[in-house]
Amino acid sequence: MPPDAARILAFDTSAAHCAAALLSGGTVLATRSEEMDRGQAERLFPLLEEVLAEGGLGWRDLDAVAVGTGPGNFTGIRIAVAAARGLALSLSRPAIGVSGFEALAEAAPGPVLASIDARRGMVHLQLLDGEQAAAPVTAPLDALPPLPGAAGAACIGHEAGAVAAVLGARAAAPRLPVAQAIAQVAARRRDRPQPRPAPLYLRGADAAPASDQPPVILP
Amino acid sequence: MPRGLTILGLESSCDDTAAAVVRQRAGARPEILASVVHGQTALHADYGGVVPEIAARAHAEKLDICVEEALAQAGIGLAEIDAVAVTAGPGLIGGVLSGVMCAKGIAAGAGLPLVGVNHLAGHALTPRLTDGLDFPYLALLVSGGHCQFLLVEGCDAFTRLGGTIDDAPGEAFDKTARLLGLPQPGGPAVERTARGGDPARFSFPRPLLDRPGCDMSFSGLKTALLRARDALIAEQGGLYEADRRDLCAGFQAALRDVLAEKSRRALDQCTGLTGFAVAGGVAANAAIRAALSSLAEAEGVPFLAPPLALCTDNAAMIAWAGLELFRAGHRDGFDLAARPRWPLDGAAPALLGSGRKGAKA
Repeated sequence: MPPDAARILAFDTSAAHCAAALLSGGTVLATRSEEMDRGQAERLFPLLEEVLAEGGLGWRDLDAVAVGTGPGNFTGIRIAVAAARGLALSLSRPAIGVSGFEALAEAAPGPVLASIDARRGMVHLQLLDGEQAAAPVTAPLDALPPLPGAAGAACIGHEAGAVAAVLGARAAAPRLPVAQAIAQVAARRRDRPQPRPAPLYLRGADAAPASDQPPVILP
Repeated sequence: MPRGLTILGLESSCDDTAAAVVRQRAGARPEILASVVHGQTALHADYGGVVPEIAARAHAEKLDICVEEALAQAGIGLAEIDAVAVTAGPGLIGGVLSGVMCAKGIAAGAGLPLVGVNHLAGHALTPRLTDGLDFPYLALLVSGGHCQFLLVEGCDAFTRLGGTIDDAPGEAFDKTARLLGLPQPGGPAVERTARGGDPARFSFPRPLLDRPGCDMSFSGLKTALLRARDALIAEQGGLYEADRRDLCAGFQAALRDVLAEKSRRALDQCTGLTGFAVAGGVAANAAIRAALSSLAEAEGVPFLAPPLALCTDNAAMIAWAGLELFRAGHRDGFDLAARPRWPLDGAAPALLGSGRKGAKA
């Protein structure tokens, strides 16, 4: 089967939503996106089963699952990634991780500066051009560093207007809903081996080293 | 059911990522076909305790690998599994969520039923997995996160007779080890150091022994140890090995005395018990185990302590509890929630925690 004829179920819970899309050969068979601040863990599988039912497919008909790996809400990206890895195991099909940056840039012509909310007044940015991508950076919205290559790029995502104005890009809207974009990126990648999906945190775990100082042990 | 039941279990509620396969054929004793545990001790070593976000990150990328290893060890595929059991709480929510979502993915893709298991029920039902113990029995769960007495009358019938109103003993062992410059996990290090120590040199409190009932408190014991340590350091500029031995021996003896006396009271409240079982990581402590064993003997009740690997966190106990629940007709939907707090005995008044999040224990 050529990669573009693949039946792919894609889902994303990296932000305040539960989103899914079922694609077959590049055609969207069914899609859902529900806004929610919490409850994605309870909602995800019932929502996926609704999407499959609407598309007339069962779990075993899938050629791959695709999952949004973030960055975003830590708990949210773990919910989706853990689900995708469980599905890959039981279906013996690949689970393909797609970053939020790649999803934002999908189907956009030319270079894209993808922007994702990093909370605390910060933003995650990545420049993408086709299959090429620069390393992501995380910076305060009110003190963005110069980004070589950003000038002229289409800035898509969180605070796109503000980011574009500072970095000399132009603001644009995402071409596709997130789950559909994830499915399309994954469809292109199916022809080569993929690592297990892993959350893209871009931020360390908040943890302070132990405060207890061990006592001096006397000889 | 000629071939019996075969259950896959997943556990990720604290700092061990685990998967196991347990089978019981009709009329036979249950068998653990595989039990895989990947600990995270090294990841948390610099932080003086388990860091929830670090634990959650490790679980999310390790669970499916553990399941694959367990299935390979058992030599079976998902086609031979009857249901997927997963710890749905209580515990560190990031880890529990990762486990629940991975289990949902496995169950959905394989078309298997899903059973959410209370982590504490896993510990409390382990004596039935290891020794075929009949109901009703008394279980003491004593670990890094929990300490409670449970009258176990069925796989979903637990009555809490008492428990800690503050810290868990395992937590106190870890803190003691840190205060004395011993490695983590603290339990084995403190037990080793206590050998040859004088338990009577320091006068440590036995909290709540003067009050009726089976409730316990261990935070004052930690404070007493800190004060004794600081007094020695102020006087000598540090600790001699003998000080560490005596502090560890005194601490361990105080803990042992509290657990033994409260166990006696719990046993006295029950009639017709088939046994007194201890579970949880602290059950590995030989001094505590010996005290509980002689108490049970004096009370005329068989004493059971599962092997260490089944006392500490593992997934065989989750698979087994899942097997018992599945057999009793329990099934969960794909809307199964992960619960940071989930008292086994919903009817008992809360010992710990309240408000929006509800009782912790």
